[in-house]
Amino acid sequence: MDEYDELFEIQDDFEEQFADELEVLAQMEEESSKPGKRQTQGPGDDISDIEHLLDDQPITPKAKRQKQDAGVAKRLFSTSQTQVSKAPSHGDDITPPSSPEQYEPSHTLRPTPAALDISGFGMIPETPRRPPTEAPASLHVLKRPPLEGEYISVTNSLGSRVYLRQKEDTGTKVVDSRMVPNSFGSLGLLAVPISVLRQQEAERRHQQVVEESQRLTELLASSVNDVLPEREDEENEDPEDTEGRTSRLWVDRFSPRHYTELLSDDFTNRCLLKWLKLWDTVVFGRERKSRPARSDRQPLNQNPSKPNQGNQNPNRFKTKIEMTEELLEAELDQYKRPKFKVALLSGPPGLGKTTLAHVIAKHAGYNVVEINASDDRSAEVFQKRIDTATQMKSVLGANEKPNCLIIDEIDGAPAAAINILLATLNRKDGHSAEGGAETSKKKKKKESILLRPIICICNDLYVPALRPLRQQAFLLSFPQTQPSRLTQRLAEISLQQGMKADTGTLMSLCEKTDNDIRSCINTLQFLHGRGHKQVDTKTIQCISVGQKDQNKGLFHLWQEIFQLPRTKRKRVGEGFEEAPGSGGGAQRFQHILHLASSGGEYEKVSQGLYDNYLSMRVRDPNLHSVCDALDWLSFSDRLNQVILHGQNFSLMRYLPFLPVTFHFLFAHTHVPRISYPHSQHEASSRLLSNRNALSSMLADIPACIRTRISQLSLTLDILTLLLNIICPKLRPVNPQLFSSREKEQMRELIDTMLAYNLSYRQDRTPEGQYTYVLEPRVEEVVRFPGLPPHRQLTYQAKQTISREMEQERMRRAEQLMLQRNPAVMQKEEDKKTTGPKPTRNHQQRLENIVKQTTVETRPELDFFGRAVAPKPQRPQPSSDTGEKCAVLAMGKAVGNSDVWFRFNEGMSNAVRRNVYIRELL
Amino acid sequence: MSLWVDKYRPTSLGKLDYHKEQATQLKNLVQCGDFPHLLVYGPSGAGKKTRIMCLLRELYGAGVEKLRIEHQTIVAPSKKKIEINTIASNYHLEVNPSDAGNQDRVVIQELIKTVAQSQQIQSSTQREFKVVLLTEVDRLTKDAQHALRRTMEKYMGTCRLILCSTSTSKVIGPIRSRCLAIRVPLPSTEDVCSVLTAVCKKEGLLLPPELAKRISEKSDRNLRKALLMCEACRVQQYPFSVDQEVPETDWEVYLRETANAIVSQQSPQRLLEVRARLYELLTHCIPPEIIMKGLVTELLSNCDGQLKTEVAHMAAYYEHRLQLGSKAIYHLEAFTAKFMAIYKKFMEDGLDAMMF
Repeated sequence: MDEYDELFEIQDDFEEQFADELEVLAQMEEESSKPGKRQTQGPGDDISDIEHLLDDQPITPKAKRQKQDAGVAKRLFSTSQTQVSKAPSHGDDITPPSSPEQYEPSHTLRPTPAALDISGFGMIPETPRRPPTEAPASLHVLKRPPLEGEYISVTNSLGSRVYLRQKEDTGTKVVDSRMVPNSFGSLGLLAVPISVLRQQEAERRHQQVVEESQRLTELLASSVNDVLPEREDEENEDPEDTEGRTSRLWVDRFSPRHYTELLSDDFTNRCLLKWLKLWDTVVFGRERKSRPARSDRQPLNQNPSKPNQGNQNPNRFKTKIEMTEELLEAELDQYKRPKFKVALLSGPPGLGKTTLAHVIAKHAGYNVVEINASDDRSAEVFQKRIDTATQMKSVLGANEKPNCLIIDEIDGAPAAAINILLATLNRKDGHSAEGGAETSKKKKKKESILLRPIICICNDLYVPALRPLRQQAFLLSFPQTQPSRLTQRLAEISLQQGMKADTGTLMSLCEKTDNDIRSCINTLQFLHGRGHKQVDTKTIQCISVGQKDQNKGLFHLWQEIFQLPRTKRKRVGEGFEEAPGSGGGAQRFQHILHLASSGGEYEKVSQGLYDNYLSMRVRDPNLHSVCDALDWLSFSDRLNQVILHGQNFSLMRYLPFLPVTFHFLFAHTHVPRISYPHSQHEASSRLLSNRNALSSMLADIPACIRTRISQLSLTLDILTLLLNIICPKLRPVNPQLFSSREKEQMRELIDTMLAYNLSYRQDRTPEGQYTYVLEPRVEEVVRFPGLPPHRQLTYQAKQTISREMEQERMRRAEQLMLQRNPAVMQKEEDKKTTGPKPTRNHQQRLENIVKQTTVETRPELDFFGRAVAPKPQRPQPSSDTGEKCAVLAMGKAVGNSDVWFRFNEGMSNAVRRNVYIRELL
Repeated sequence: MSLWVDKYRPTSLGKLDYHKEQATQLKNLVQCGDFPHLLVYGPSGAGKKTRIMCLLRELYGAGVEKLRIEHQTIVAPSKKKIEINTIASNYHLEVNPSDAGNQDRVVIQELIKTVAQSQQIQSSTQREFKVVLLTEVDRLTKDAQHALRRTMEKYMGTCRLILCSTSTSKVIGPIRSRCLAIRVPLPSTEDVCSVLTAVCKKEGLLLPPELAKRISEKSDRNLRKALLMCEACRVQQYPFSVDQEVPETDWEVYLRETANAIVSQQSPQRLLEVRARLYELLTHCIPPEIIMKGLVTELLSNCDGQLKTEVAHMAAYYEHRLQLGSKAIYHLEAFTAKFMAIYKKFMEDGLDAMMF
């Protein structure tokens, strides 16, 4: 545990540095003064002046070596390691110093001067934060012999032994190979014989040189400020690595390796970095202290920081900054995780989203685990991969940093996979809700909740499957890359590759590809591969390589169609071509045709055109263009019909001409107001609901009528008139008081309604009033808006009708039953009317009464009041004959009425009679 | 059975009120014991179905009137289940295959096969064939109609088809040639009047002949509509008065207003309003052909004689496209726009001529 505690201290210091990351960025140019400050801020320990020297005089490593001569063998090793890791950072002084990788030198160096700090030795390799990126294996100082490779054991004065890997050392020598003999000569105190070192060096030298030089050239390409120091290096290495460079894509070779090399918008970069830093509390267990204070300072420092990075108007971001700031300053949740567990980057292809995610994750000290569309993303596999990436940690080898999961191209993932991701996000911890960042053991217990950042990347933010994720994610949409920055980068690349291209040319290349970095670089490489050493604007205009199938949004397409392109201002000093759509008719034609055919959704497009073209501001007094447009629409409709029914897809090539026609007919210089086409969809859904109402009405119409009417005749002829017919004038009186003629009328009405399966249903309006509505709701099918309303029945009338209908229904049901089984009817009726369950009891009792009265002789009763002897002989069972004679006898006894009375204490059913529905109605 | 339409529907060929000659011909046709496949066509409300049912009754006796509704589920080869309602007696089966939409071919094949493959048990006492009555044949897809061709010949021994449609133009030639076509024209105004009067008499009402005439004109001689209108009049007001308002169907009123809107102003804005109204009509289940027809009728009555041929020509042109295409609204609107253009030009020319 004490290891961890110690760690925390160190990391706290580092956290401060992280927090100051932007300040540091701002002062990057004053690198010379900065390093010293950096060191003093570093982990509070004694740093030898070597470091200063290292930073101050990056090109003269000899001096360093000579100063070190007092050290022991260990010391030599660690310093040389320092050299390893320093080497790249010399190459690019612009690297933000806050990144752990950049700080590694001081890490490794720290224990060295304090040679007795053995616990420090042991600790370093286990630090989760130690980022070993610069070398294939980063374990320099081990407590146990390494599994593979050669090593040297070193024992200190206290007797504790550590092991040093040899492999690293040789790598070092490669970099500053020129000075090696010198340093060795001057030191003379080698733990390893120099012959051994030399031998190893000779073995690996060849590949290492190639790799190293490549890296250096890349660094050179990206660093803007200080090209000069590296130029020599690069030139030195150039001839050696020609084989390696032909085989690789420039996009990969020149892709940014460090935060500062990113071409994408600074604000976006910073936001993502900040979000990732929010995880530090839970992932690395650091407190975030300096955060609130920094938020004010930051914008101030930022402004003068990067005049050279194309950030012309920093004020623009201020509100955005505040907003996102707010978002990012939100409280951590109970597990000390940020509010948004997922960052969702979105933007068109080629802006560097994936690169940004990788670079930032590395920068923040994570090990990147990527899932993209090429992986199997079925639900189970996805679940497994998420769990693996977020809950496990590699214990062997180099990647002992915490993982950061990057899910690339998530918009193509199936909805099931996204649901799994959401479930992972929302997983609740089963254990106690206390903050889990205290100890490592506690962390391990809580495997179930998500404790690692996830970055998702998509092109289309509005894919339906992403909808649930959108609400839970920290959304970052990528703005366009700034052409100036991109041009600059392109210029560097072409310069380095020996291509001649002026800024104007590169600008037009950017324009052509819509500032798509990938496409630009690919095009350059293509031209280079073709042997063009000189690229001018004309070549760029002529080639069709940079053109990609742009998938613009529908609204964009509609806008392009309905809007005449504005001729762009010519930029001063740059032979700038006009925008593709702005030229003459032919050019516009091609432009729209290209847009429409790459869009693909012809159906939707033409629907949008149809819905919007009439609201365009076009002077068309004779309606000629409207007629033309509609002719085209009906033509494309026919075309569609043929395509779909005859599967004749070769005709599809004629579909994109419709938008072109519309463009020429209706394009206007004003910005069109375009609404999304809903009309067709609305119409079809309403049609469907009306059809459903009709078919539900038809479904229960009796067959003899059903055969005479169809849905069509119902809508065209019958329904309107039928609705009139069932609204007769009724006197608002009790139906009992109707005259015979009115009764007849009522009967017919009810007949009709039943025959046509119409009924009234009581409904409650939102205002709390009760109304009767016609069911099924066919009224909407035949009533049109804007027509004089038809006569409606009053509430009372409807009530009366509906009551009468109920009665009629019951009557009919009874009749139907009687028809079906006339034999049993009598008995059945009895049972039905008096209620199913108690009948037997009641009848028995009644029979008892009857018997008592008729037979006069009271039968003997037992204790419970049951007849003892003669009763069983009586035909008690429920056969018809038995019942009948009982009834007969009963009739005699009580007179010719079928009303009986019996006093029944505490019961209300004392008076009882058989009632039939037909008597009630 | 309380609507007059249903209550006073004739049930035997002898009792039919009009086209009596045709009725006797049908009677003769049936009496000789056998008859070919029939294609009964004619406008809606002319009495096709009534005639067919009378024919069936003549053929099989009163048993055909015991109808029942059967819900049948047919599994298409694509494993899709199609549910369809059929109305059947012991002797015949009535299907509206267009209920099944695009899958009507499967319905036709399956249903006719099942009916045709079972023989009548008592062929001595009964006819040896059953009748399959297909309604709305003109809405069948071409696929289904072609499927019908072979079936008609193959199962001739055990079943006869009676096809019922409003027009033959959408019935493919091979089927027309396999059937005996019987046209049931609309009753004349006098026929309608006499039927109305007779019905009212049976109801014990007195219908003034003028009103009867007005009703029959307003209903376009569609007898079903005429009877319903008459009954609606009765509900509205009895004793009848001569100048009583005859209720109309809403969609006709709406369509007329739409036509008036087109004539009164011609501009893109108006076209937009008209589009909304057309959509309204379409969503109320009014078929686009009928909208087109109604629109043309109204527009023709509103425009100058010189324009009429051109308008009719345009209407025919767009109606044809409408039949070929699938999005009715485009074609309806295209016709409207065209009419607007023609009409506007004509009016402006007229104005110019007046000025000079």
